[in-house]
Amino acid sequence: MDYMITTEQLTKKYKNFIAVNHVSLHIRKGSIYGLLGPNGAGKSTAMKMLLGLTTPTSGNFVIDGKHFPDDRLAILKEIGSFIESPSFYANLTGRENLDIIRRILRLPTSSVEDALELVGLTEFGDRLAKKYSLGMKQRLGLAGALLGRPPILILDEPTNGLDPSGIHEIRNLMKSLPELYDCTVLISSHMLSEIELMVDDIGILNHGRLLFEGGLDELRQSALQAGFASDNLEEMFLSMIDKDNAARKQRAQL
Amino acid sequence: MLLAVGILGAAYAFVNFLVRKDTLLNLPLAPMDVLLTQLYGMIMILNMFGIIVAACMVYNMEFNGNAIKKMYMLPMSVPGMCFCKFLILTVMLLVAVVLQNLALMKIGMTELPQGTFEMGTLVQFAAYSFITAMPVLSFMVLISSRFENMWVPLGVGVAGFLSGMALANSKVALLMIHPFVVMLKPAVAMSAQPDSTVILVSLVETILFLGAGLWMAKHLHYE
Repeated sequence: MDYMITTEQLTKKYKNFIAVNHVSLHIRKGSIYGLLGPNGAGKSTAMKMLLGLTTPTSGNFVIDGKHFPDDRLAILKEIGSFIESPSFYANLTGRENLDIIRRILRLPTSSVEDALELVGLTEFGDRLAKKYSLGMKQRLGLAGALLGRPPILILDEPTNGLDPSGIHEIRNLMKSLPELYDCTVLISSHMLSEIELMVDDIGILNHGRLLFEGGLDELRQSALQAGFASDNLEEMFLSMIDKDNAARKQRAQL
Repeated sequence: MLLAVGILGAAYAFVNFLVRKDTLLNLPLAPMDVLLTQLYGMIMILNMFGIIVAACMVYNMEFNGNAIKKMYMLPMSVPGMCFCKFLILTVMLLVAVVLQNLALMKIGMTELPQGTFEMGTLVQFAAYSFITAMPVLSFMVLISSRFENMWVPLGVGVAGFLSGMALANSKVALLMIHPFVVMLKPAVAMSAQPDSTVILVSLVETILFLGAGLWMAKHLHYE
């Protein structure tokens, strides 16, 4: 099988806790992979390691056959990313912010307008980024990730702060990307209802550990076997998390 | 910021010499020494604060809005970005020093006694004051790149200035490790003659601080 991103026992330890605990992910080329987990599960930390924002404590990962840090520039050329909160120059307009990214990526001038249109920010492109609302900042961050239609997208809770129509727009956009541009998308969320509507494969993290990885169909099968309705994956997901939390408490008491 | 400092320094030199011309020219010093050492003190302080504030601002624009996180996620060299900021500040400081010394040149040519103005000495001293300012510049770029909160490098700069002022007159050579002491050396000297030891220490410190900043930018990750 052709994997675009694989991680092998990826671990990140901080002084007094383990944020990501021996996680091995397999993201197929041209698919949408949903990384799901409650707050503090390690989703953002795992993504930060893939982008070189933080060093893994142990383990390794491969992105399109390339390794960090030797192939850092080649890897980052292929990735459009959005991590945690939007990043921008507050004293520049939305258009100017995207233009900086365009110049770094050596893209044509038209790609800025293209990105603004994709996220619905065309009419606000000349407003200073510091004057943007939360939703607009989020859209600007997404526009920066989508600039030039990169082959890999790594998006950390991209629909945070968006209104329902914005969430719907972004979801439809994400779903269309693999088909239109053979794009591989790694997207994280703590909402299964959102993830369910757009992903092909899913990985469930809790307290840094990977509890489940597989297709949505496999998850539905597991739900049926566990006695949950297959159309109520939310309950399945919550019970998986509760079960893991209970097991952790027991291990801690021992 | 540094341009403003250059203009302000030039204006200060004019006003100060106009107001204190008789007092300055009656000092028991060579006219060129009067021109360069007596006016340079305040100009040097302006330059020092200009460097501190400019270095803080040049990185604050990256931290404000978290733009620096995006830079780490783009295919560009983070040490390269640090080096470019160092170069920009260096060029701006050079422009400021040139503006200030143009004012000193004008004063020297029109106000000093005939035949006492020496262009070579002025150029030499200008180069000396520029080189001795470089350790502070590279040190402040290093500190500003490491701290998101602008008050930290500002505080370090002010502390550096105050401690430098206290230690500048000391004869202990080891104190030249302090970049602010090095920058103050031309101001506390009574002669416009450059000190080769100070120049050497300036160059070494500039390279060391710049090297440390580039190494940290390359090897220390965003988190």
